Amino acid sequence: MVEANGTSLVEMRGIHRHFGDTHALRGVDLTLRAGEIHALLGSNGAGKTTLVRILAGLDRPDEGTVSVGGELVERFDPKRMRAMGVALVQQHFTLVPTLTASENLVLARPDGWRRGPGRSESARLAQLIARTGLAVRDDVPAGRLSVGEQQRLELLRALDADARVLLLDEPTAVLTDQEAESLLSVCRTLAAEGRALAFISHRLAEVFDGADRVTVLAEGREVVRDEPVANHTRSSLASAMIGHESSGMFTDRGGRDGSRVDARLVLSEIEVGRLKSINLSVAGGEIVGVAGVDGNGQSDLEAAVSARVAMKVGKVELDGVALIPGNPRSRRTRGLAYIPSDRYQFGLVGSMDLSDNLDLGRVPRWRRSRTKRRAGRVDELALWDVRTSGPGARASSLSGGNAQKLVLARELDGTPKAVLACYPTRGLDPGAADSVAARLVRCANEGAAVLWIGAELDELLAVADRIVVLAGGRLLGPFFPPFDRAAIGLAMAGESHEVTVP
Amino acid sequence: MSTVTPEQPGTPPGGFIAGVGRRATSGGVVSQIVVPIAAVATALVVGGVLIALDGTNAFSAYREVLRAVFVGKRGLSDTATAATPLILIGLGYSIAYRARVFTIGGEGQYLIGAIAGTAWVTAGGIRTWPGFSLVLTGLIVAAIAGAAWSGIAGWLEVRFGANVVISSLMLVYVAGSVLQWAVRTGIRDPDSFVPNSRPLLAAQLPRLPGTHTHIGFAIAIVLVPIAAVFMARHRGGFRVIATGFNPNALDANEVSKKKIVLLVMVIAGALAGLAGMVETAGSTGRLGAAASVGFGFEAIIVAMVGRLHPIGVAVAALGLAGLTIGFESTQRVLDVPSTLVGVITALIVVFVVIGDALANRGREGR
Amino acid sequence: MDVLLKIATLEAAIRLSIPVALAALGALISERTGVLNLGLEGMMLSGAFAGYMANEVTGSPWVGLLAGIVVGCGFGALLALAVVTIRANQVVTGIAFTLLASSGTTYLFQLKYSIGQKPPRVDRLGMPPLVALTLVCVFALWFLFQRTTIGLAMAATGESPEAADALGYRVVRLRWIAAIIGGGLAGLGGAALTCGPLGLFIRDVTAGRGWVALALVVFAGWRPGMAVAGAFLFGLCDASQLRLQGTKTDIPYEVFLALPYVVTLAALVLRARASRTPSALAVPFVRGVH
Repeated sequence: MVEANGTSLVEMRGIHRHFGDTHALRGVDLTLRAGEIHALLGSNGAGKTTLVRILAGLDRPDEGTVSVGGELVERFDPKRMRAMGVALVQQHFTLVPTLTASENLVLARPDGWRRGPGRSESARLAQLIARTGLAVRDDVPAGRLSVGEQQRLELLRALDADARVLLLDEPTAVLTDQEAESLLSVCRTLAAEGRALAFISHRLAEVFDGADRVTVLAEGREVVRDEPVANHTRSSLASAMIGHESSGMFTDRGGRDGSRVDARLVLSEIEVGRLKSINLSVAGGEIVGVAGVDGNGQSDLEAAVSARVAMKVGKVELDGVALIPGNPRSRRTRGLAYIPSDRYQFGLVGSMDLSDNLDLGRVPRWRRSRTKRRAGRVDELALWDVRTSGPGARASSLSGGNAQKLVLARELDGTPKAVLACYPTRGLDPGAADSVAARLVRCANEGAAVLWIGAELDELLAVADRIVVLAGGRLLGPFFPPFDRAAIGLAMAGESHEVTVP
Repeated sequence: MSTVTPEQPGTPPGGFIAGVGRRATSGGVVSQIVVPIAAVATALVVGGVLIALDGTNAFSAYREVLRAVFVGKRGLSDTATAATPLILIGLGYSIAYRARVFTIGGEGQYLIGAIAGTAWVTAGGIRTWPGFSLVLTGLIVAAIAGAAWSGIAGWLEVRFGANVVISSLMLVYVAGSVLQWAVRTGIRDPDSFVPNSRPLLAAQLPRLPGTHTHIGFAIAIVLVPIAAVFMARHRGGFRVIATGFNPNALDANEVSKKKIVLLVMVIAGALAGLAGMVETAGSTGRLGAAASVGFGFEAIIVAMVGRLHPIGVAVAALGLAGLTIGFESTQRVLDVPSTLVGVITALIVVFVVIGDALANRGREGR
Repeated sequence: MDVLLKIATLEAAIRLSIPVALAALGALISERTGVLNLGLEGMMLSGAFAGYMANEVTGSPWVGLLAGIVVGCGFGALLALAVVTIRANQVVTGIAFTLLASSGTTYLFQLKYSIGQKPPRVDRLGMPPLVALTLVCVFALWFLFQRTTIGLAMAATGESPEAADALGYRVVRLRWIAAIIGGGLAGLGGAALTCGPLGLFIRDVTAGRGWVALALVVFAGWRPGMAVAGAFLFGLCDASQLRLQGTKTDIPYEVFLALPYVVTLAALVLRARASRTPSALAVPFVRGVH
C-alpha cells in the first residue's frame, strides 16, 4: 500500500434519515480514506444501504453533513456525486439489460449528444478492459452476461468515470466463493492505486480477508465505529451485529432420528429451463438442502417441483403419484406444501386481506360472509404467531417475517406430506428466521419430505440431513454431515466432479 | 404488449382498480364514493360552460334534462330502456376489469349476439315457434354467440399473448363487417328494399306491465344482484379479484390465471351478446345496418364510473341513460347538440381516472 | 390495363398506409420510453379534426398538418400529465382519452355543421410530400434511437427506469418528451388523413387506425422500419379492399371490409410472443420503489 494514502476522501457526520415512522439512520458518522477498504456490517434493516445510497446521491440525509475530497456536498444528486468521484455498485445492478456493455458505458458517460457508430463505442470498452484487466463480453445484451460479468461491467463503468470512492453494496452476495475471492483481490489493487473503497457485507469471512477497517450498524446506530479490523474477532463482530453471540439459530434439531419413510418426494429426469436431467429423491422425515448460487437453475427447479410449469421431460412424484403441472389445487390436495422464494409474487395477494390469503388454494365453492370469514381465522393467526391488527388487515401491511408466517400457516396446515421451501428465511431478521426454520424442522420430524433450496450455506449446514449443489443446471453431490465446506464451495463454483444423486 | 395484461407481475395496482376492495380504509371511501361524485359534478359544470358558450342558458338546459326524464311523458321508461344494454355490457366489463382484463370489444360482441339471435328467431322452421320459447332461445343463442366472439380475444391472449385491448377492438370492426353482410345477404328480409333482417314479431320482448319498457330491463336488474353475489361469495369471484391483484399468486396456488382470463372474457361476451338481442328484440324490432350505436363503448364509462361494482354499474347506467334521454329533449327544445352527452360522459371517466390516481397518491403520502 | 390497376393499388396502398405509419411511429417512441399510449386513436382523431378545420379556415393543407401536430402534442402532454406525473393507470387513461376525443370531435363538428349540412371538401396534399414526410420521420426516429444519447436514455427509461434514474437521467422528463412527440406524430397522422387523400372529416374518420397502429408496433418489435412496413401491409389490405368492393366477385365485399383488421389481428398474434416488450411499459416510475 502506498504511504501517501490514508488521507480522508469522504467525511459523513451525524447523518439522520427518516422514512415515515422509521428512523433508518440515527446520527451515523463514516470516514473513508484513500488506499483503504472499509467494511460496513449490520443485519437487515440496519441502515447500511441507506448510508451508501446517500453517499451516492440516490437519497438525501435529513440531518448531517457529507463532504467528498474536502468539498461539502450541497445537493444530493447521482450525477453530481459521480462528478465528485463517487461510484456505487448496487446490489441490484443498474445496467440496462437490453443494451450491450459498450452501450451501457456510453449511457453512463456520453461523449456529447451524438453517438458514434457501434464500432467506436466498442473500441472505448476494449481500451478500458485492457487498462483494468476486467473482462466483459460486448456481443450480447448486458442482461445475458453472467452475474460476475455484470458486476465487472459495473466496476468498469465506475472506473470509466475515474471514481475515487467506490461503494459496493453486498458485492459477493451473488458470487461463488471463487468469484468473490477474485473480486476482493481486484478491490485490493484498486485501493492500492489510491482509491477509497467501502463494501457492505453479511459475510464475516471476507471482512477479515479483505477489509482494513470496519463499521457495524445496528438499528441505525454505529455499534462499532471505524475501527481497524485487526482489533476484532469474528465473534466480537457477530455479536455487535446481532446483539448476542449467536442467534441460537437451528441449534435444536428436535432429536430427529432415523425413522424415515423412503422416497416420498421423487424428482426424475427433469428437464426444463436450465435444468438438465435432475434426479433426486427425498425421504419422509428428511431435509435435503439444495445449495448453489442463484441463477444456476434454482428458479427452474422451484417452478418445476411446485408444478407451476410443465416440464419438457421428467416428472415430480409424491408418494408415487405424479403432480399435474398447471393445476395448483391438486398440488395442495396431494399434500405438497410450497413456500415460494418470492412470497409477495407467488405466495400472497398483497391487496387482499389475511383471511382471503389463507383461503388461497382452498376456497370453497360458496364462501361465507366477509365478517364470518374473518372471525373464523382469528385463532389460526394466533396459533402461527402472525402479528397483525387482525384478519381484515391487508397482507401487504405485514412485515417480512409475519408475511412468511402467514404463508406457513396456509401451506403447513394439515400435516403436509412434502414441503418445497425456497429461501424460506430470506429477508427475515434472526428471530423470525429461527422460528420459520423451526417450523420446517418440525414438519420433517412429523414425517414430511422437505426440499430446502437455500442461499445461505451456513443455514443449510445447520438444518440439512443431506446437501446437494445445483450448479449450471445440474445437481452435484450429495454431501453428508459432517459437511465439508470447501468441497461444497467448489461444487457451487461448478468445479466439482459430477456425482449421480440417488 | 403483454405488459398491460395480468401477466405482468410487478405492476403496482395503480389507477382505479386500486380503489376496489379498499372500502375498509378512509382512502377507500374517497376512492369509492367521493371521486365519482366529484367527477360527475365537474363534468356537468364543464358541460354547462360548453352549453353557455354555445349561447344557451346552462341552467335551463339542465332543467330541461331533468324535466324530460322525471316529468316528461315516458321519460323514466325511456331511461330504463336506454339503460338496459348499458347495464348488461357494463356488468360484464366490471367483472373483466376486476381481473385487470381490459376488454373494450363489447360493441362487437353485442353485434354478434344480435346477429346470431336474430338469425335464430327469424330462421325458417323456428320463427313459427311459440313466443316464449322463441324469446328464450333467442336470448340464449345471442349470449353464446357473444361469449364465443369474446372468447376469441381471450384465447388469443392466453395462447399467443396478443393484447386483449387491441384484439377485442379489432374484432369490433370485423363484427361490423359481419353485420353488413348479414343484413345485406345472410339474414336479409326478402320483402325489404333496404338491408334489414325480417321483423322479429313473436320473438319480440314483452313489455313490463304498467310501463313503456320491455322485460329486458327486468332481466338486467335481476342480473345485478346475481353478479354482486358471484363476486362477493362465489369462488369464481374470489379468483377474478385475486387475478386482478396478483395473477402469479393465483396461478401458483389456486387455479391457472389463463382460465380466469378466458372466464371473464366469456362472461363479458355473454352479457354483451345478450344485450344485443335484448335491444333488437326489445327496442328496434328488427336488425338493420345501423345497429351499431356505441353501447359497447358507453358501457366502458358505466363500468368505470360504477366502480366496477354491480350496483354502481346499474346506477351509472341509469344516470348515463337519463342524461342521454334528457339531452335528446334538450336538443329538440333548446337546440343544444345532443352529442354533448358524449363529451360530458367521457369527461366523467377522465376525471374519475385522474381523481383515483390523485387519491392514491394522497394515500401513499408521496 | 392490368398493370395500371396494379399501380393504382400500390399507390392507394401507400396513400392509405401513411396515416397509420405516422401514428405507429408516435406509439413507438412513447412505448420505447415506457408510456403506453392507448389514447392514440383519440389523438389521431383530434389531429384529423384540427387538420381539417385549420385547412378549411386557411385554405392551406400545410397549416392543417401543423394544426394536427399541435393538437396531438397538446393531447400528448395531457396524457403525460395524467399517467407520468399523476401516475393514473395507463390502460384506462388511454381508453378514456380516446372516448373523449371521439365524442369531443363529434360534438365540435356538429356545432359547426348541423345535421344535414354538407361540410366542404378541402384542399388536399399530394402523395410526394406526405411520403417524404413519413420517410423523414422514420429516419429521425432511427437516428434518435441509434445515434443520439437522448435516444439511448429513452430506451433505457423504457427498459429500466431505475437504472436511468441512477445515472442521473430525468425519467419523468424523458417520458413527457416521448409522450408529447408521440402525440404530435399521431396528430400528424390524423391530419395526413383529412388533409391528404380524403380532404374530408366525418365522424370517427380514423375508423380504428390508431388501434391498428398500436398493434403494428407490437408486430414491428418496436423498430421504426418494421412499423412502417407493417403500416404498408395494412395499407395494402385497405387498398385492395376498396378496389375489390368495386369489382364483381363471388366473395361478399364485406370480407374485404374486414380484411385489414383481420390481417392486423393476425400480425399481432404472430408477433406477440416473438417481440420483446419494453420491460417498464405502462409501469409508473416512483423513485426508490423497485
